[in-house]
Amino acid sequence: MKRIQLTSLSSLFFLSVLLAACSQSSTSEKSADGEGKKLVVGVTMLSMQNEFIVNVHDAMVKKAEADGVELITVDAERSALKQVEQVESFIAQKVDAIIMNPCEVEASSPAVTKALAAKIPIINVNSETSAKPTAFVGSDDVESARIAMKYIAEKLGGKGNVLMMHGYMGQAAQIKREQGAREILKQYPNLKLLAHQTGEWDRAKGMSLMENWIQSYGSQINAVFAQNDEMGLGAVKALTDAGLKDKVIVVSIDAIPDGLQAVKKGTLDATVFQNAEEQGSKAVETAVKAAKGQAYGKETLIPFQLVTKENLTKFLK
Amino acid sequence: MEKDFTLIKGDGYGVLHMRNIGKYVLLIVLVAICIALSMTTPRFFTIQNLMIIVTQVSINALLAFGVTFVIITGGIDLSIGSIVAVTGVVAASFAHADTYPVIVPIGVGLLAGLLFGAFNGFVVTRTKVPPFIVTLGTMTIGRGLALILSKGRPISNLSDSFNFIGGGKVLGVPTLIIILVVFFGICTVILKKTVIGRYMYAVGGNEQAAKASGIQLSKVKMVVYTLCGGLAALAGILLTSRITTGQPNAGAGFELDAIAAAIIGGTSTSGGAGTMIGTLLGALLIGVISNGLDLLNVTSYYQQVVMGVIIIGAVVLNSLKQPSN
Amino acid sequence: MTKPRSFLINIRYADAVMASPQDYILQVRGLTKLFAGVVALDNVQLNVRMGEVHALMGENGAGKSTLMKLLIGLLKPDSGEISFDGNDLTTSHVRDVIRQGISMIHQEMLVVPELTVAQNIFLGREANGKLFSWLNDRNLTEQAAQLLKQMGVNIRPDTQMKYLSVAQMQMVEIAKAISNNAKVIIMDEPTSALSDKEVAMLFSIIIDLKKKGVAIIYISHKMEEIFTIADTITVLRDGKYIATKPAAEFDIHTLITMMVGREIDTLFPISTIQPGKEVLSVRQLSRKGKFSDINFDVHEGEVLGIAGLMGAGRTEIACAIYGLDPADGGELYIKGEKVVINAPQDAIQHGIGYVSEDRKQFGFIPRLSVRENITLASLPKYAKGLLVQAKSESEVADAMMADLRIKASSSNQPVVQLSGGNQQKVVIGKILLSSPSLIILDEPTRGIDIGAKAEIYKLINQLKEAGTAIILISSELPELLGLSDRILVVSQGKQTAVLLAKEATQETIMHYAMEP
Repeated sequence: MKRIQLTSLSSLFFLSVLLAACSQSSTSEKSADGEGKKLVVGVTMLSMQNEFIVNVHDAMVKKAEADGVELITVDAERSALKQVEQVESFIAQKVDAIIMNPCEVEASSPAVTKALAAKIPIINVNSETSAKPTAFVGSDDVESARIAMKYIAEKLGGKGNVLMMHGYMGQAAQIKREQGAREILKQYPNLKLLAHQTGEWDRAKGMSLMENWIQSYGSQINAVFAQNDEMGLGAVKALTDAGLKDKVIVVSIDAIPDGLQAVKKGTLDATVFQNAEEQGSKAVETAVKAAKGQAYGKETLIPFQLVTKENLTKFLK
Repeated sequence: MEKDFTLIKGDGYGVLHMRNIGKYVLLIVLVAICIALSMTTPRFFTIQNLMIIVTQVSINALLAFGVTFVIITGGIDLSIGSIVAVTGVVAASFAHADTYPVIVPIGVGLLAGLLFGAFNGFVVTRTKVPPFIVTLGTMTIGRGLALILSKGRPISNLSDSFNFIGGGKVLGVPTLIIILVVFFGICTVILKKTVIGRYMYAVGGNEQAAKASGIQLSKVKMVVYTLCGGLAALAGILLTSRITTGQPNAGAGFELDAIAAAIIGGTSTSGGAGTMIGTLLGALLIGVISNGLDLLNVTSYYQQVVMGVIIIGAVVLNSLKQPSN
Repeated sequence: MTKPRSFLINIRYADAVMASPQDYILQVRGLTKLFAGVVALDNVQLNVRMGEVHALMGENGAGKSTLMKLLIGLLKPDSGEISFDGNDLTTSHVRDVIRQGISMIHQEMLVVPELTVAQNIFLGREANGKLFSWLNDRNLTEQAAQLLKQMGVNIRPDTQMKYLSVAQMQMVEIAKAISNNAKVIIMDEPTSALSDKEVAMLFSIIIDLKKKGVAIIYISHKMEEIFTIADTITVLRDGKYIATKPAAEFDIHTLITMMVGREIDTLFPISTIQPGKEVLSVRQLSRKGKFSDINFDVHEGEVLGIAGLMGAGRTEIACAIYGLDPADGGELYIKGEKVVINAPQDAIQHGIGYVSEDRKQFGFIPRLSVRENITLASLPKYAKGLLVQAKSESEVADAMMADLRIKASSSNQPVVQLSGGNQQKVVIGKILLSSPSLIILDEPTRGIDIGAKAEIYKLINQLKEAGTAIILISSELPELLGLSDRILVVSQGKQTAVLLAKEATQETIMHYAMEP
């Protein structure tokens, strides 16, 4: 009996130390000094395992520090249900504004409705929900795919065989990027889509898929459009191993550091830059304005930019 | 009178025969699917494509070998996918070009995996918590560690020598295939030719009998989980090398593919039975189907359905070979 | 019952070798073991000489198995000491105990089904049990083959254990214990699954071991065996040491009295009821490779015994009637009407109940309570819609517990915690609740102590008096002779005789049982 108490006491102690240690790292800012009242913004992100999302969040933190705003960040781990619960808890904490990076178009919508009902401004960043938020900051995914596919079409002179790698089937980004790509394909009737298949946003899966396609189509392949850089880099690896990279154009989206490096080396022909920093800082800026009751833009669209070897330097940090 | 001592029921001769047929069920299924694919697409049965299949299968197979050891002892390890991520990230952080010789990232990565596995074994043997729960916990812990160590970002710019181990070729044969063959041999020998291998079957087949025979259960289990962690680490290092980057979200869901390969291969979920050749065939079956469906350009929605049907089918066929008593 | 079975070689094995007055090889003093505060073993002593067969007697729950597990190192005592061959083994691990030279044949048959016979025999001792060393399976298989040949057992050493019959497994367990070159071998119910032939083989093996100075600690519920083989008998009761005496100073009556602590009158109750109308009749029943052309009838209030050697097809016939392994030829008639039985549901519908020989596997669900097990098969009777009526369920279960005199702390006690005899009663209770007109009892007293046996016999008689038809399968001929009205004898899947129990003897039954 005594032993049990001892172990439970010591584990409680251990647990509290652990929790204290963890919380220090996330909200390092000390208590608000001088101003007395500091704005608090709740942030829920799609997934902190995704590099682009982490970049958006880093920009938010930077902007918040500069503006003296306190951020409370939580990770929805790709679960819309979790995200709605997180927003509910923000409402209960009476934050001044909420920034949400939605997991899903429909399933994350209740979060928006609830925040608006509680009269707390909610800003969607990066992707959309079907319910209309206070403001939207982000880019149009359809546009990114148009830019990428257009580059392929022009490089091939409007004629050739193309392969497309999807992200997770059914996700908003996948649907929109497919839509944009198909719009361009329609404009170029001599551009033929040989096959399209999911690589689940994953480099290893993209690589395996490309290896199998090489077996299927071999030298017929003229270009590959991957819906993100990870899969694009997988395709590049498979093509290089098969000695085909010189003959095939690979274009993807996101411009992650590895992608930019590959563009620099010339293995990835182009990627499309989605401006994470702009999205992050504009989101915080809009949230602050909305919380203070100042004028703000209902929809801030940050344009995509095509990155090739020629204009690479301005994207490399 | 001597004849009366002959015991009538199952003296072994008749059933031995039955058993041998059962052993080949999976091989027959695999060959049948290969023949079917060869007839539908000429691109399937080429040396190059077959090498690609084995290459793609190798990482899953290595994980499946590890988990086969564990399942044979009556346990389970759900944390291997996370070990892949942790060891991949750890290895990658020591593998940048012009830093350490290639042996360092390999050594450090393997050590991390062995320690992780040993931790699983420690908790499983020292507490009465079932392995399913223990490794479910360490699965999450591992994923978290990978994210902490990498700060959520992929680690790239790895040295060429590191990228060679999982992505190179020796005399035209991909290194992954060579490594797979070597470790298939090692694992088979461990399981069939060593005392510890025998004890794995004993512990999983009848824990009480093993105990009464003087076998130290906790030692056997420690070895098994550590071994599984080590093989997962190897898989993690090879994956990192193959995709030339250490990714904190790598290996998600790999544990299920590995367990599926082991079970398709005839490893008994209740322990005590299983072979490495079965597991290898199981992994190959999954790989062949996935490759074949890509070649046939089957839509991803249908791919998942087909894969599920074939997994269940293989296990059902496998179960037919068990005598119903 | 009082005379040794004549089909065993008709001499007392104990006389064959003179027990030499040597020093004790194994000494146990003041051994005490508590389970969760309950005393299982209380200050027990045991002294075993080299080259003797030392029988350990006592009812279930007397502490025999606990004592043996302490000896072999599977449990650690709370106090007392064990010294073996000059060494203190009180707190040694199983591995060391085995290495020192004590081995044990476990009652529960601790075998690994997926491993081969040879691998089972040498399990834990390959390469001295060093984890990281090579195996030499060919060597093990050869050694096992030699060992089995010496024993006169015809089992291939490379067969997987799961393909063996229970009797064969038991022979392998015996081989395993012998192969250790042990100085003391503990045999816990080694014959529970063996036919008389194999028992004779085991006994000649024991004689050989004795000649080599090996001591045997022998535990069995079969009295004839004890009086045939034992030199010395130690009696335990309720976890306490009662007495140790040369076997010659006991007779069956004094031994039972000492074990039970009270007098047991006649073992087999006398029944006066005359068989009534026909309940089941079996015509030309066959199942390929198992049995063929079986014909018999069973009547109300009649016990039909089925005798035969292990593997002769007794259980298979029962399984065919109950639909577990349906027959592929012949006809079954229930009360004159032809029926088809393809599954146990069919049999239950026709009022047939079956108590399996393997009660652990087929009889009960260990973690469920006595009440839940008893009502398991007839639960819909005590339910309204989807809800079980707890009150009526408990009433029924309590009544059955009282009727069958099931000893349990309450009807909520899990069955796994009961003694073998009480577990068997729970299984019978479950069958009785569906009030069958025919009950098949397959080895109903296997591994059950003498007191509980007597109660089961009484119960069989009560069922008979109530007009139930009973088919009784048993390897214990006195039991068959004492309870049955008629006895069907099978040999190698064929029916060789139907004898009137009144006129039959153990010799005539064995004669027909061994007929080719």
